[in-house]
Amino acid sequence: MHRLWNRIDFAFSSAWQNFWRNAAVSIASVLIVWVVLLALGSLLLVLHSLDQIVALEKTKASAISVYLADTTPLSSAMDFKLHLESDPRVSSVEYVSKDQAMARFRQLPALDPSVIDTLGTNPLPASLDVTVKDIRDLGAIDQEVRTSPLVDKSPATNYEPNVIDKIILLARVAGIAGLVLIIGLTGLSVFIIMLTIRTAIYLRRKEIEVMKLVGATDWFVRWPFIVEGLIVGVVGAVVAVLIVGFGYRPAVVNLQSVLIFVPLAFDPYYLRVVLAAMLGFGLLLGSVGSYLGVRRFLKQ
Amino acid sequence: MAAVVPAGPQISLQGVQKTYPNGTVALRDVSLEIPKQDFVFLVGPSGAGKSTLVRLLIREEKATAGSIHIEGQDLSRLKRRHLPYLRRKIGMVFQDFKLLPNLTVFQNVAFALRVTEGALRHLKPKVEEVLSIVGLEGKEGKYPDQLSGGEQQRVAIARALVHDPRIFLADEPTGNLDPATSWEIIQLLLQINARGTTVLMATHNREIVDVMRRRVVAIEGGQIVRDEDAGGYHAPALESH
Repeated sequence: MHRLWNRIDFAFSSAWQNFWRNAAVSIASVLIVWVVLLALGSLLLVLHSLDQIVALEKTKASAISVYLADTTPLSSAMDFKLHLESDPRVSSVEYVSKDQAMARFRQLPALDPSVIDTLGTNPLPASLDVTVKDIRDLGAIDQEVRTSPLVDKSPATNYEPNVIDKIILLARVAGIAGLVLIIGLTGLSVFIIMLTIRTAIYLRRKEIEVMKLVGATDWFVRWPFIVEGLIVGVVGAVVAVLIVGFGYRPAVVNLQSVLIFVPLAFDPYYLRVVLAAMLGFGLLLGSVGSYLGVRRFLKQ
Repeated sequence: MAAVVPAGPQISLQGVQKTYPNGTVALRDVSLEIPKQDFVFLVGPSGAGKSTLVRLLIREEKATAGSIHIEGQDLSRLKRRHLPYLRRKIGMVFQDFKLLPNLTVFQNVAFALRVTEGALRHLKPKVEEVLSIVGLEGKEGKYPDQLSGGEQQRVAIARALVHDPRIFLADEPTGNLDPATSWEIIQLLLQINARGTTVLMATHNREIVDVMRRRVVAIEGGQIVRDEDAGGYHAPALESH
């Protein structure tokens, strides 16, 4: 117990001294770890948001809302509904009144209800939500309904071809670009930590010589440097975790107020996973970097 | 490690050869036996192979051929992870002391115990004990640059004694010291030898070797050219050229 404590105490106090003895290099390595983890955390959260959007869009994919002009009487709307239902390509049609549309609108996450109340009148159109059997028929139906005089002209429908494909492509591009960036930064940070450890070893070369001479074990000599690498990893990770942890919710809220119709949501469970991953990755960077540092330079 | 000391010489070299990677042959066919509690001077000109021999004994270097045994242990078969335990059996001092300038006398000696995970409870009494052996009581709080060369070498000797070594290797321990101080260091080594520790001292110091009349092993060109029980620095006139 006593010996274990001595070992831990020696490793930590030496590591702490090393860290400050070459403070400039140590802080540089903390910064690079911080940047890597910030990039990692942000990328994971952005990809997760895109995933959420794709999932939601997919459920909407086989349906379009056909917006009705405010002048359209309910009976005409019902005839139009029957007409559409008789189309063999259509599986179902649902009528959504102006009030129902407003009720749905109020449920959008980022909208302040008091803002809506100041509008006075309801600007939202009634609609027929048409679900098709085969997504590929959506375009043709969209073209047909646009010619009807009952239909609002601005806009006529919410049909946006390829929106999912675009989002998936965006997610893929963001994912690959982010991954390449993170791999590059990871390599760089491991290299810089290794350099930090080599500097620390160089500054302690006399002590290391004496330690080996009087019979210190290899691991006793190595531990302070491994611990120093871990300190770099943990400090970098903690700063990045704090920023992402406290920044995620405000970022989502701000984006929601700009992109009202994009279904962004704050996901506290996923955030915890991301923060844990960042901390783990920081420790990994620190230990790999310092292990490479001691492996090459503490051999006899 | 085995506490039982086997019969036979404590240090034994058989046909030892050392060739460095650059091709330099430092030792060729060296055979030497040193019994327990012996006091041996290792003499010879610079580059003769004295330092290589010392380095082989603490296995800072491995012999290219031949075998080295310390207390029955074959150094060529010693695993790297067992090396620290060999080093703890061997106290070692050098011409340049190798003290850590940012540590006090006490801390320099205690360092050797700390880094070998000696129990910290026993650290203070042990450090005080070895510092009194080398006669440095009252200097515990001084830093190396506040001490004379002789005092610094005493600190190094104290540090080498904290593990109660069975073998004490001194590589030119008086090389940087004036004659009077050198004699004090020699007295200390004799005292350590009298306590039962085998002492091997590599030296250039002709006067000391001649006066002491101890066993002298002379090395030249990587070979043992003379091994006398109560010898001098140079061979007796009859054998010299």
